[in-house]
Amino acid sequence: MSRHFRELSVAAALAAVLVALAIFAPAFFQPQPLLSLVTREAPTLVVACGMTLVIICRQIDISVGSQFSVCSVCAGLLAAMNWPLALVPPAAIATGALLGAVNGVLIAGLRLPSIVVTLAMMVTLRQGLNMVRQGEFVNLPDRVQWFGLSQVDGQWALVFTALLLLVVLGLAMRHLAAGRFVYAIGSDAEAARLSGIRPQLGTFLVFVFMGGLTGLAAAMNMMQSPQVQPLAGSGLELKVIAAVVVGGVAISGGRGNLWGAFTGLLLLACIAPALTHLHIESYWEKAIQGAIILLAVVADSVRSRNEIR
Amino acid sequence: MKSLLLRLCVAAGILFAGLTTAFAADSKLIVALLPKSKGNAYFISCKAGAERAAKELGIQLLFDGPTDSNAAKQNEIVENWITLGVDVIAVAAENREGISTALRKAQKQGIKVVTYDADSMPDARSFFVNQATPQGISHALMDEAARLTGETGEFAMITASLTAANQREWQKYIEARLKEKYPKMKLVAVRPCDDLKDKAQSEATALMSANPNLKLIMAICSPGVPGAAEAVKQAGKTGKVKVVGLGLPSENRRYVKEGVTDSVILWKTEDLGYLTVYAGVALAKGELKSGAKSLKAGLLGTFAIQGDNILLGKPFIFNKDNIDQFNF
Repeated sequence: MSRHFRELSVAAALAAVLVALAIFAPAFFQPQPLLSLVTREAPTLVVACGMTLVIICRQIDISVGSQFSVCSVCAGLLAAMNWPLALVPPAAIATGALLGAVNGVLIAGLRLPSIVVTLAMMVTLRQGLNMVRQGEFVNLPDRVQWFGLSQVDGQWALVFTALLLLVVLGLAMRHLAAGRFVYAIGSDAEAARLSGIRPQLGTFLVFVFMGGLTGLAAAMNMMQSPQVQPLAGSGLELKVIAAVVVGGVAISGGRGNLWGAFTGLLLLACIAPALTHLHIESYWEKAIQGAIILLAVVADSVRSRNEIR
Repeated sequence: MKSLLLRLCVAAGILFAGLTTAFAADSKLIVALLPKSKGNAYFISCKAGAERAAKELGIQLLFDGPTDSNAAKQNEIVENWITLGVDVIAVAAENREGISTALRKAQKQGIKVVTYDADSMPDARSFFVNQATPQGISHALMDEAARLTGETGEFAMITASLTAANQREWQKYIEARLKEKYPKMKLVAVRPCDDLKDKAQSEATALMSANPNLKLIMAICSPGVPGAAEAVKQAGKTGKVKVVGLGLPSENRRYVKEGVTDSVILWKTEDLGYLTVYAGVALAKGELKSGAKSLKAGLLGTFAIQGDNILLGKPFIFNKDNIDQFNF
């Protein structure tokens, strides 16, 4: 119980918000709008999964938003060029993995700090994209939206994909050697090295994986609408890092899990629609989200101090 | 050897021809048009109008700009035009203060300067061709929303952010218009979308389920319009919840043709380019002086001048019937 206290407290906060909505604004739970909202968060969940691994590995990647935009535009242009639809998501994943590999080489290979490398990457990719696209939307052919399925089937498919990834990855992190290696590298890279793990290789692979997932998320986002906005993904890095931190993943590495990150994402994501349903002014949205993040960080610091004692 | 000689002769011929046309063109007025970025469809459309005006007036038009929105590059181009000795420079300023030094220098050299689309500092140009006043835009949006809802019922607004200056100003005028002319309409919520289409979609989805009587969503930032339209479409409320907003035809064409979005409001960018060239030429010929109250611009007729702003007039409403004529 105490081991999972952190994750459970986030889940309790989420439950409290949902109960409040059920009492004061039951319209929130209408199936169709709710499914649309949840589908919109599916790509964010995929990116948050990757970010969880990165942060457990004691790194950070603030370039995911820009990577997401680049992958979205690439995928959109390929789809607009009438590439076979089945090849578009793999192409987006490959694009993302390539960008992640660049981050990985600089961070793991040259041992540069990840916050600086990914900051540079974030700015470079964003400006490059602005220069090439001038903010112009990519209009997609009709068949791209929902991958040729009906709207409801398409929405369920996207939600299911994201949840499947979460479950598989969550179990892998707990039970597979590779998953434990990520924790080991994040807790103490030197100890990990002495026990036969190659921390630099591990870190590199985590960044490649992060990029690949960002590409997948971009493809999943593209399939929800008939056009791609090059600005898509701006601010995504803050959203997922916040979700991961709120979910109890320690920014100092080596601790936390995907279930926590998932709950954190749900909690933060339901604030905006909850305010709309409760007819509260939207000025509060960012303030409440900020307060939740602050509360989470304070809770973490109190906990780690208690542990030292 | 022979072919080399031939090529040299041809080259010399071309050079000579080029020189003569350059001298011949000297007698023609040269108007240089600077966009924020030259690859942007919006400015390409401005250029089309400017070219039309140039042909009618028999002047030479130069069109150059940064490939991306780059304030420093704009200064460079203006400096080059000063050296070249053009007669009129017309600028859409990327950076209000940044471009003004170069424009003042141009004015000192006797070059006439006008701005269009985005103004510089007032002392760095003679006139600003103002495509739309905040009041004009806001009234057009509110009047269109009233027309679509029969002047009754609830509507919601999507803005870029609650703090952006232009959004605040438009919102203020819209609310004033609402209060003054449409007492039976009610603005139930204002939600920000951070200039993201995807966030606008989520916001619009929540707005519709939270306000079951909602009749219309008005988006006053351009990504908000397709975002709201996609939400309405996914909710299966096409026609029941109307969508109007401020945006580009190209981003909204699909939804307008499907009947999800009813009206998209913007100005006619071609007319903006056309009017800018007419203003520049009138200024250079001394027909347009400070204090003038109106300007006649060829086929488009007469435009009002307010202070040193030449007004393009009422915004244009793109709808199902006309949207295919516009490609920006």
